[in-house]
Amino acid sequence: MTDPLDALEKSISTLRRAIRDASAAGDTDHAGELRAQLRRAERAWDALVDTGEPVAPPHHPGPVAVPLARGSQLPAREHVHRALMLLGTAAAPKLLVSVHEAFFPGELSASKLSSLRRDEERSFRSSPGARPYYLCPALTHDLLSPVRALITISTWPLEQRIIGPLSPRVDFLTGTVRIAEAAQTATPAEAGPGALQLLWRFAVNIPGALPQDASTRPTGPDPQRVIDAARAELAIHTDADHATRTEAARRARKKLADDQQLFGAPLQDVRRLRAVD
Amino acid sequence: MNAPVDDRLAALRGSARRLPYSARSLAALENNPRCTLRALLDSSGSDKAAIAERAGFPSPFGQSTFALARGNAFEAMVKANGCAELLRVLRETLQLTLPEVGYTDLNDVGGDARPEIRAARTAHLLVRAALGQGDSTLYDHPMLRLIVGGHAVFLEPDLVAFRIGDRFHVVEIKSFPIIDGQAAPAQVRSATTQACAYVIALRAMLAQAGIGPQAVSDQIILVAPKDFTNRPTAAFVDARKQVATLTRQLDRIARIGDLVALLSDGLTFDLDPDSDDRPRRPAEELTSALDQVDTTYRPDCLNHCEMAFYCRSRARANMSLDVLGPAVREQLGGIDTTTMALGLARGQLVPADDQREMTTALRHAARLRAELGGAA
Repeated sequence: MTDPLDALEKSISTLRRAIRDASAAGDTDHAGELRAQLRRAERAWDALVDTGEPVAPPHHPGPVAVPLARGSQLPAREHVHRALMLLGTAAAPKLLVSVHEAFFPGELSASKLSSLRRDEERSFRSSPGARPYYLCPALTHDLLSPVRALITISTWPLEQRIIGPLSPRVDFLTGTVRIAEAAQTATPAEAGPGALQLLWRFAVNIPGALPQDASTRPTGPDPQRVIDAARAELAIHTDADHATRTEAARRARKKLADDQQLFGAPLQDVRRLRAVD
Repeated sequence: MNAPVDDRLAALRGSARRLPYSARSLAALENNPRCTLRALLDSSGSDKAAIAERAGFPSPFGQSTFALARGNAFEAMVKANGCAELLRVLRETLQLTLPEVGYTDLNDVGGDARPEIRAARTAHLLVRAALGQGDSTLYDHPMLRLIVGGHAVFLEPDLVAFRIGDRFHVVEIKSFPIIDGQAAPAQVRSATTQACAYVIALRAMLAQAGIGPQAVSDQIILVAPKDFTNRPTAAFVDARKQVATLTRQLDRIARIGDLVALLSDGLTFDLDPDSDDRPRRPAEELTSALDQVDTTYRPDCLNHCEMAFYCRSRARANMSLDVLGPAVREQLGGIDTTTMALGLARGQLVPADDQREMTTALRHAARLRAELGGAA
């Protein structure tokens, strides 16, 4: 794989051309889908330039083959992708379903998610890079093996997909901030009462996120207050967590093949377990 | 444990597969330590449920699937989203500081959930934590290994919390409610007893690395739903006494040889199963084998022992005072059966020296009862 930035730029220009073609042909659905992909690629490019760190090369640099015949599983995939993009962190199926119900229309069930995860890996193995993104598991920081039931997106940098000891809390706080921001900007029509309920469920477990006297909350949690409280606790953990993730990501890039960087390294034997520490 | 005793226990079990101890069967040691039958069946690894069924006393319960599902759902809820609920509760009870949020999942090791591997990893990580080199506070489903009577037993607590610079705390997550700071005593007791087995196993594991028992707290943290809500709350439960009792009982298992020596040769609880696992041994033969061993029935055995219905019917047949529970039994010290108690009360039996005092009380009670009956 060449420099990830080059690959991304190539992918961006391919996408732009594809959008122009689609618009000219009057296929607005297709064009909208491509635009979303373009935005994701651009964000990844921004992140790459900002950090200056070599991140995981995207696994869809070639000409973007947009599946014309949509499989029946595609909508569920899209739902999951959208919920994950809102959270910006690895998430368990249950959380994804809650976020989806709070902010997006359509149906998504946890049972659909488990079959989805198997399909993703199978599809990647049969033709790597055929899809613009894959839903793949988060990776443990020490063994670089897949984490039980935490879903991420393949286009995210490895740092974002690795789970260290502090990461569950950091991801929870980050997710809370993202949910609060989304609840702030969403119009009441977009975000149902579920959004504030979800925010409340999260906020009760963050020190200082709710007014002391919890009985007097006429309008539910104040998103700005929740964001401030979550950021305050986040500041405590974020440096240590970032260090763990960066170190693990570096190790993963060195040791793992491309597909293992996505789906994790299976444990071969116990001896490796010792070698890690 | 020496080999002849092991062979003897294997003969008691017969052809069936050996069932290992679990946290539940270890807890039973503490619940009813005097029961010989239970001690023999457990240490030989016999299948008590199958034996009870063949003897004609199937236990109609077992663990309810609904209770299990409810318990698992509550545990999952408490641990969801980076243990968000659990951290709030532990920050309140254990005074965890804000930076103490490190979490290590020990449910599997890179997708491998074999107990030996998980136990090795658990030992490795917890010893490091005890030596101050760990990076986590919460250890989810560690796998502990304890040697009981010469056999390895794997035990799996819900969670072990490590307070930096302090001690390990065993956390039990249970789905029965704590209402107004109170929970059902029987349920708290069984939860604590189970947790005691974890405390002992954790201490044994750390002892191998030269770390003293004070590294593990005697206080169990019970996490359970608060009042009538589904939100968790936590309470400390003092388990010092139960830990001490269970430790003593575990030491006694090593002396199971003394019990085995009292049994007649050729005694076995083998069910002689056929290829489809259907027992072929006649029920009468099995019952007569069981009848050769002493039991100590108590009404609360019904809560936790598969053999309880068999023991109850035997106690009833013998007119034993055991059926009436330990309170009555202790009141009537020195008297073993209802027949004897009634005989003494009616003056049909002559009391032995040590029964004289009790007999006076019984006769007094009988007179009062007769007077009341006469007045009515």
